[in-house]
Amino acid sequence: MKTEYHPLVKRLLDGELMFADLPSELRAEAEQALRWVAALDRTPVALSARLDERVMAQVRRHAKSPAGRVWRWLLGSREIDIRFHVRPWALGFAAAAAVALVVVRPGLRTAPRSVPTYVRFIFYAPGARTVSVAGTFNQWNPAAAPLVPTTSPGVWTTTVALPLGQHQYAFVVDGMRWVPDPAAPTVDDGFGQRNSVVAVAAQDGGGRAL
Amino acid sequence: MGTLLAVAVAGGLAAQGRVPADVAAVVQQLVDSAAAVGLPVEPLREKAIEGGAKGVPAERVIAAVRSLAARLGQAAAAARAAGIARPSADVIEAGAFALNAGLDQREVEALVRRSRPPYTPAATLRVAGTIAALGVPAGETAQVVEEAMDAGTAPGELLDLPQEVERGVAHGDSPGAAAAGLGRGQATAPGLNQPHGNSQGPQGQGKGQSHKP
Repeated sequence: MKTEYHPLVKRLLDGELMFADLPSELRAEAEQALRWVAALDRTPVALSARLDERVMAQVRRHAKSPAGRVWRWLLGSREIDIRFHVRPWALGFAAAAAVALVVVRPGLRTAPRSVPTYVRFIFYAPGARTVSVAGTFNQWNPAAAPLVPTTSPGVWTTTVALPLGQHQYAFVVDGMRWVPDPAAPTVDDGFGQRNSVVAVAAQDGGGRAL
Repeated sequence: MGTLLAVAVAGGLAAQGRVPADVAAVVQQLVDSAAAVGLPVEPLREKAIEGGAKGVPAERVIAAVRSLAARLGQAAAAARAAGIARPSADVIEAGAFALNAGLDQREVEALVRRSRPPYTPAATLRVAGTIAALGVPAGETAQVVEEAMDAGTAPGELLDLPQEVERGVAHGDSPGAAAAGLGRGQATAPGLNQPHGNSQGPQGQGKGQSHKP
């Protein structure tokens, strides 16, 4: 694995250049760099074999403690009966309130978009102070989904719950630079730049990212 | 209800400070027009917000919203021409995405027409749009997806097509070469053709799924 890439390849990874902008002699190196970053995403996470044991030991200790039993009693669910009489005018009021709620909340969808699917975003941005992902799934709000740096230098990541549908997004570097995901499909954003796309399609009663 | 939502959409944009008031007013008109012909308005609102977030000049935001409204209209027309009298918002949005990725209205119509059960038009269009967005030429994209459905590929495995293209590109193929023959090579849906040997299992819903870095 190369540890030092050509400055133009670094700019590609940083999202400042498109692949097509690179001179042909650098494309093989760029492809290797992109594959390396992609491979990071697929590297299995190794957990200590004793982790389960240690977690269960903690759980058992809490389960045995008297304070724990009191706490669980306080938080535990119980069955209760609630009875009330419904007046016809109250039903009308409730219906009006429901309509008003829809009208004053423009973002409300008329139908839920099923169970969310968790998608992990990874971005290579050496030297960045902050990185976030903004897209149709979070109202393009750069503050909504910050990425955190991983132990690999320059690699940032976050996991976001996405509803079914087509989502467009971009990474926001240092709060001001909008950068498409260099390894994801992209489409014209209508503003002269590119947006990355991720689709979550229905499958087996849930969803999966394409 | 769609009209009620449309009324609230653009007003909400300005109130939330996501776009300038003058842009919100024009977006409101576009939203009203879209709602009047049964198009989904949420994508228009999202596009306006995106423009505001990116600091795009007002006229470019309005042009992008207008362009998106036109694509939604084209997608709805394609779905209707394919036999869906009242296409859902999901189908229209997926069609607009496919159009944005490079497919033309005729190709969208053909894909919707071929998406008879067990396939769904929205998923088919999303697969096609994603493949085209990976750089596969539009005609070739439509052909690959149609061939996969004709070959009886299971719906869940149809969703694997974009990953197959990405895998080929990662190995050095051009997007077109990576897509070539994929449709014919896909496996079969239960009850359609022969059993298959594709070892690529479905990714579990609710699990963490890694997206491209």
